[in-house]
Amino acid sequence: MTAKAKGTDLRLYLTREPVILALLSALAVALFLVVTGLSHIYHAQQSSLGNRWFSRGVADLRAQRFESAVAEFRTALLYSRDNYSYQLNLAEALIGRKRTSEAYSYLVNLWEREPENGVVNLELARIAAQKGQTEPALRYYHNAIYATWPGDQEVERRDTRLELIEFLLRINAKAQAQSELIALAANLADGPSQQARVGDLFVQAQDYDHALAEYRLSLKSERHNPAALAGAGRAAFELGRYPLAQRYLQAAVAANPSDSESVARLKTTELVLEMDPFRRQLSVARRDRIVMDDFAAAGQRLKSCSALDNARGTASGAGSQQNFADSWSKVKTEITEQGFRRNPDLVEAAMDLVFKIERQASTACGESAGADMALLLIAKLHEGS
Amino acid sequence: MDSQPERQTEVLEENGQVEPIASLSERSPGALLRSIFREERFFLILSVFIGVFSGLAVVCFRFAIDWCRIYLLGSGSTLSPNRLVLAPTLAGLVIAVLVIHVFPGVRGSGVNQTKAALYIYNGYIPLRTAIGKFITAALAIGSGHSLGPEDPSLQIGASLASALGRRMRLSRDRMRLIAPVGAAAGLAAAFNAPISAVLFVIEEVIGRWTAGILGSVVLSAVSSVVVMRWFLGSESLFRIPAVHLERPSELIAYSVLGVVGGLASIAFSSGIATLRPRFKALPRWTQYFQPAAAGLLIGLIAVLGAPQVMGAGYEYIDEAMHGQFTWQMLAILAGLKIVATLLSFVSGTPGGMFAPTLFVGAMLGAAVGGAEHVLLPHLSGSPGTYALVGMGVLFAGFLRAPMTSVFMVLEVSGNYSIIVPVIVANTFAYVISRGLQPTAIFDVLTRQDGLDLPSMEEQREEGILRVEDAMRPMGDSVLDAEDTIDRVLHVSEKSSSDVLLVRLSPVGWSSITSQELRRMAAEGKGGFTLGSLLPVRHVPYLHPDHSLDTALRYVDRWPLVPVVSRADFRKLEGVISQHDVLKRYRDFGEG
Repeated sequence: MTAKAKGTDLRLYLTREPVILALLSALAVALFLVVTGLSHIYHAQQSSLGNRWFSRGVADLRAQRFESAVAEFRTALLYSRDNYSYQLNLAEALIGRKRTSEAYSYLVNLWEREPENGVVNLELARIAAQKGQTEPALRYYHNAIYATWPGDQEVERRDTRLELIEFLLRINAKAQAQSELIALAANLADGPSQQARVGDLFVQAQDYDHALAEYRLSLKSERHNPAALAGAGRAAFELGRYPLAQRYLQAAVAANPSDSESVARLKTTELVLEMDPFRRQLSVARRDRIVMDDFAAAGQRLKSCSALDNARGTASGAGSQQNFADSWSKVKTEITEQGFRRNPDLVEAAMDLVFKIERQASTACGESAGADMALLLIAKLHEGS
Repeated sequence: MDSQPERQTEVLEENGQVEPIASLSERSPGALLRSIFREERFFLILSVFIGVFSGLAVVCFRFAIDWCRIYLLGSGSTLSPNRLVLAPTLAGLVIAVLVIHVFPGVRGSGVNQTKAALYIYNGYIPLRTAIGKFITAALAIGSGHSLGPEDPSLQIGASLASALGRRMRLSRDRMRLIAPVGAAAGLAAAFNAPISAVLFVIEEVIGRWTAGILGSVVLSAVSSVVVMRWFLGSESLFRIPAVHLERPSELIAYSVLGVVGGLASIAFSSGIATLRPRFKALPRWTQYFQPAAAGLLIGLIAVLGAPQVMGAGYEYIDEAMHGQFTWQMLAILAGLKIVATLLSFVSGTPGGMFAPTLFVGAMLGAAVGGAEHVLLPHLSGSPGTYALVGMGVLFAGFLRAPMTSVFMVLEVSGNYSIIVPVIVANTFAYVISRGLQPTAIFDVLTRQDGLDLPSMEEQREEGILRVEDAMRPMGDSVLDAEDTIDRVLHVSEKSSSDVLLVRLSPVGWSSITSQELRRMAAEGKGGFTLGSLLPVRHVPYLHPDHSLDTALRYVDRWPLVPVVSRADFRKLEGVISQHDVLKRYRDFGEG
């Protein structure tokens, strides 16, 4: 092939395919620019429409008009399908409408996009809790506690932990609830109402020591808070610290006389203090008197229990009741001031029989009340001592 | 002679092309450029541009549909009854005028038109069709006609590709293939699913897998999806719910869905097949009002409580997947959507069948799933799973694209655990649909339009005649190149055939006639070996599994072609001649 022919050949191809490709590239770039312009207009309009419907949805959500809110958020999502905030609000509106399965699918999608979002984790935890799915609920609650939150993170995290504790108490996971409560109490801000609330939760979790401590903290700031006083009284009562319980309950009743629960608990506390022969700083005569009264009360309980059994025609624990009745009658003759002086161990023996009778009666004849309840509490207080 | 190059030049490959091997350094600059810009390579580059242009067109098409919807129906999800009735009716009138007077080639979905371009018009689709389809389909879908944007996008892509191919002055073969390349690009961008688009075009438009076109189709589909995602994001058409299959016994539940889907597909396609010719047979003046009447009826359905049937309805598919509707409502929506789509389609309104098919499938799937859950509460499949499977079921049963239907669900869901339910349900739907209505809907439509395009379904199931069906044993008339002339002459005298095959050493075949042998013997060369005297005349060989079409290319040039084993090229399985091939074809035609 000659040099001239080679040159012609080269020119032919240089003037055909490369030029065509260059022209096509230029055309593609030009069209790209045109479509980019159109795209800006399109997306601006979509964004504007989306925001408009979203604002309406937020207003309806706040007003708890969930049905309208759902429709508006859905419309907003037509214009911005991927918008995180729209989807989250739609999920919340759906939860408000009790359409949890649909809300769940939105939330799961959102969680996949932002696993560290506090709101999403909390809503997922609530749905799981509602469905009775304990394990995922706990996982999402814990995620939410350590997640990022808009606004005041500490407040959101604390509230989430409070909600988790309430969930744990609902499912009777008291040990877990106690550990969460301890963590919560450690990070609690100085606020009497919150301390009282945490105290209440400790009571529900049957951690009365921590409950009392929280109520006391609350009372430091707000001495006459009736709820805190009642709570402290209950915690002290449950701990068997009856003098302290009496003081708090008296203050609680004084602050809120309509608090019937505290009134009843105060009455029981006073009975316990009155009927406890093992109290310190009690004269011998007083102690003997108390033992005699307690012994009489136990005898009365035994009789009423037998009568109840006879009336019902049942014989539950009839044998043991008869044994207790025999023992009671036998000891009764010795329960005198002279008897106590003759036999220093008689107080212990008599009270031991009283406690046994009360326990047996509460099992056989139903819950005790009044003096019988007080005697049971005294028995519990001195168990093992 | 080195055996390896010999084998390369002698074996006939399916495409019949053998590229000469030469080092780049030996080539002139012109030859080098010619090599770089050979048409098939240029075609591949062009495919990328087709994808880009189709992607841009589809993006604009999506904008146009949304703008039409916002301005005609309103921006909210709760629409005013007046607009619901008036928008599709008035849009129908405008569309009718445009279709009758300005864009007559834009009726229907566009899939058949693309096929017609491939098989009848040498790849020619006027650019005007793309413009017309763009305007009329955007107006129809945006105003609430029950049609989808996918098939129009396919036709827009094909039309743009065709226009580009004409500008590039491509050869006739390339021009024929360029429409499917554009079609794949348009469909991929509209559906945001390149694999499904490629499969659909291969399965339904081209009808065969060929390496030459596959690369172009894939390139164009991928580039159009990239462009589409650039402008509209990569999110799928709907949020995919969690998919799981806990017990294999639950496949029975999906089989029920397949059966129901198959029957629904029959109802859908029978409706179109029956009503379309009747609407077309009505007086010409009614064609001005048919889209408007369809729009009016669809508007009334919407006003009466089912606005979900309007438009493509992807947002409602999403809602069905997430348990928004009761199973009774889902079943009603599936039925109403079939009615609405029938009305829109048979009235000649331009628009696609893909989205309505997916809508009906999703609603039907979720309805069947919901009903099964009422009867058998322990079933683990969510409504979303059934809706996804349902989409595939209708695709297999109504559009009769079984491969695409499976991959479409996989691609859309991105979850492979759904594959078994999809295959089971789709198989039931496909078999029922195929059994009760032997002709696929696209083939019905082409025949109604007076065209006789090849049916892809029939092609798929057509038997292929192979060399083994026509070859015959050679007997003892095979000579070895090492034998002497005297010896082979003895063999040739016993043979009934005038042409004898010669086995060359180490591999390869040649042939010689008895007359030539006799001449050599007469010239006193009886003691020479046959190989030393044989003229260089390599005979190509075939394998038993080659198609008879392939054999036909060679039997007219060589009177006898050896058929050898693929494992041992020296082992003769039989021979084949032109007479054998023609006889087999004749027998096949009579059979």
